[in-house]
Amino acid sequence: MVPKQPGVSKQSRVQPKQQERSLIFSAATLLAFNLSACTTNAPNATNSSNATEASALNKVALTVTDKGCEPNQLSVPAGKTSFEITNQSSQPLEWEILDGVKVVEERENIAPGFVQDLKADLEAGEYDMGCGLRSNPKGKLTVTATGTSASAVITPSQLVAPIAEYKVYVIQEIDQLVIKNQAFTDAVIAGDITKAKDLYAPTRVHWERAEPIAELFSDLDGSMDAREDDFAKKADDPEFTGFHRIEKALFQDNTTEGMKPIAEKLMADTLDLQKRIMELAIEPKNMVGGAAALIEEVAATKVSGEEDRYSRTDLWDFNANVEGSQKIVTLLRPLVEKVNPDLQKRVDTAFAQVNTTLAKYKAPGGGFVEYDQLAKGDRDDLKAVLATLSEDLSQFRGTLGVD
Amino acid sequence: MSVSHSSNSPVFRRLSRRDVLLGMIGAGGAAALASLGYRSLTHSGEIPATAEASVPFFGLHQAGITTPSPASALMVAFKVTPKTRADLTHLFQRLTDRIEFLMAGGTPQAIDPKFPPADSGILGPRVYPDNLTITVALGASLFDQRFGLAHLKPRHLAEMPSFPNDQLDPDLCHGDLMLQFCANTAETNLHALRDILKNLSDALVLSWKIEGFQQPNTLKGEHQTSVRNLLGFKDGTANLNPQDQKRMDQLVWVQAGSEPAWTTGGSYQVVRVVRNLVERWDRTPLQEQEQIIGRKKDTGAVLGYHQESDIPNYDRDRKGQQIPLDAHIRLANPRKSDLGLILRRGFNYSRSFDNAGQLDMGLLFVCFQSNLQTGFITVQERLNGEPLEEYIKPIGGGYFFALPGVPAKGQYLGQALLEAV
Repeated sequence: MVPKQPGVSKQSRVQPKQQERSLIFSAATLLAFNLSACTTNAPNATNSSNATEASALNKVALTVTDKGCEPNQLSVPAGKTSFEITNQSSQPLEWEILDGVKVVEERENIAPGFVQDLKADLEAGEYDMGCGLRSNPKGKLTVTATGTSASAVITPSQLVAPIAEYKVYVIQEIDQLVIKNQAFTDAVIAGDITKAKDLYAPTRVHWERAEPIAELFSDLDGSMDAREDDFAKKADDPEFTGFHRIEKALFQDNTTEGMKPIAEKLMADTLDLQKRIMELAIEPKNMVGGAAALIEEVAATKVSGEEDRYSRTDLWDFNANVEGSQKIVTLLRPLVEKVNPDLQKRVDTAFAQVNTTLAKYKAPGGGFVEYDQLAKGDRDDLKAVLATLSEDLSQFRGTLGVD
Repeated sequence: MSVSHSSNSPVFRRLSRRDVLLGMIGAGGAAALASLGYRSLTHSGEIPATAEASVPFFGLHQAGITTPSPASALMVAFKVTPKTRADLTHLFQRLTDRIEFLMAGGTPQAIDPKFPPADSGILGPRVYPDNLTITVALGASLFDQRFGLAHLKPRHLAEMPSFPNDQLDPDLCHGDLMLQFCANTAETNLHALRDILKNLSDALVLSWKIEGFQQPNTLKGEHQTSVRNLLGFKDGTANLNPQDQKRMDQLVWVQAGSEPAWTTGGSYQVVRVVRNLVERWDRTPLQEQEQIIGRKKDTGAVLGYHQESDIPNYDRDRKGQQIPLDAHIRLANPRKSDLGLILRRGFNYSRSFDNAGQLDMGLLFVCFQSNLQTGFITVQERLNGEPLEEYIKPIGGGYFFALPGVPAKGQYLGQALLEAV
């Protein structure tokens, strides 16, 4: 299927009430493409004062008679416009915005005497308006570029390459997870506690980097990465499996007894995950939102030291989440810089701060020291910078116009 | 309380609906209504009339100290994360902006719905003032080596020590910065806190917080100037009158002279989380409770007197036959001199319960004074060893210095300190 232009919504013709707007990208094959056009009303900064500013929704009214549109020429700024269409003709009306022959937006079946709203998100350019009877003259709709947005609009097609690259990244991480997890679970099954302990944190790194995608499969997320808090009977719950169950056995109980079935299940789940991710179409919101989700995860559970409570390897996971988020930010940088360079700068600064603080806790033999060695002052600094980073990354979806 | 019931109150009868709306100009009137539990709705059917009441932000002194004390309080201590004086200054400038907006109210910026909203929305699409005050105070730790402010520390400001009966929880003590939120409703305080956290997340990290309230059905009538604490006794009866400007200048506001110049117009703030051992208290004979406090439980009158407002003459009871010499009110305020006089602004608090299954509730004690030594510390030293200690356990709090006010727009909280050399 040929990618359509921004704002073109095939489904809207068929099912106007169910406008599925997602970008589906599957294993290097572009299947369908109908992401809504990006918006441009990006706030300058989360820290800006809450000055009163009108929303960017323009409103335009027009009437369709038996002879055509009144007015027959309209000019609106780029972005969102609400068209209020009054049907004063004698028959049911289909009102359309056309880009050449392509229908950009339309409102079907407006009964005579009725008024309907059509909200359209338009990029700058010249459009035609269909005005009832095909014999009626088409109206002219001019969409003018607005000050800040003209050069800042991100079209959905610009997200295709970053998403493709991101999928490659995720696949590579999961491939590494499979390899490392094989060695880890082999050690557990063989009863080699020392080796298993050594392999625990380096294995999880790959899971944590790819977490926004890995956790999309809630069954696997539950069986592989749940913590004892997620279960009614806590650590004793038979449903408590996966990495953290083995972590508890290795680091708290100092045994591998009874872990064979859990290790086997973890390996099987990992292979299942690998297979599913190969087939997965990563949606823009999963990737763009994933940068924020990873940092939210760090801010909510990693900085507090709850993730790896038995092994105290939290900082490994912490760092891997940050790397995963930074990967996304790097891939999106050219786009974000175009729309909101200040935002990109703040995010870069925050990541640098996090990395500088984390670097103080690198272990000589690779990886990180135990969580308990994190000084309170550094933990407070990390809390502050992670909260700010979460605020700024929460602007990414809006900045790139991703639903 | 329903409006029809409160119409019996003399305070209420004097107020027409128009007065209610006009009364918003004088925050006192609105606060009185708030304490009556006035819940009339505006045309929108959503926002209570008292919600429009606001307390001015600008002034020589900060609001929230002598301004009327509404029903809900929220005390939040923070650690500040800036590393330089310049970044700290930026924090105070931004904090000033947020407080000014929140206290006045207004409509937050409308944002493209693809973005997170600028405001939490918990007060609705428009932020109404609701008598909100946010009072900013500094802890002694802010004057450590980080910002080169050590030589500017207020003379008496130090980390709050542990008094003999204290059992301080380190997770409920001290802080670089204390924000005191007061408003008609808890939601307004929480809205303000969330706004500040969202906008200043890079510079503020939560240290601890506690919410306080005043009994909603306690009338502040003509002879009932105080509310009841969770021991069931009137509390704050002998408090200083915050409307008495002269007394406030003497006892609450730091005057030019003995302190660093920037402190003029500020005030020492003491916060104490005083847990009441309520189960045990409720199992104590009434007469013993009254002897411990020094007041009748029902009327609030000092023992041997008739009304809550009657002032005891301890000279006529030198042996303590009427009012025990170690009664709480007698120790706290011997009515001899100004020594130990403080402006209290206390609330009740209720949290969870302890491992023994006993309730964790009590007094969220807050007071202001121009001199910490002759104020709170003097009172506390008199109270050390009092019989009431068997039923109370201070578990948290701290000493802070409430900044002078912001006289006019364009200036910011803490400016005199941060621009001092």
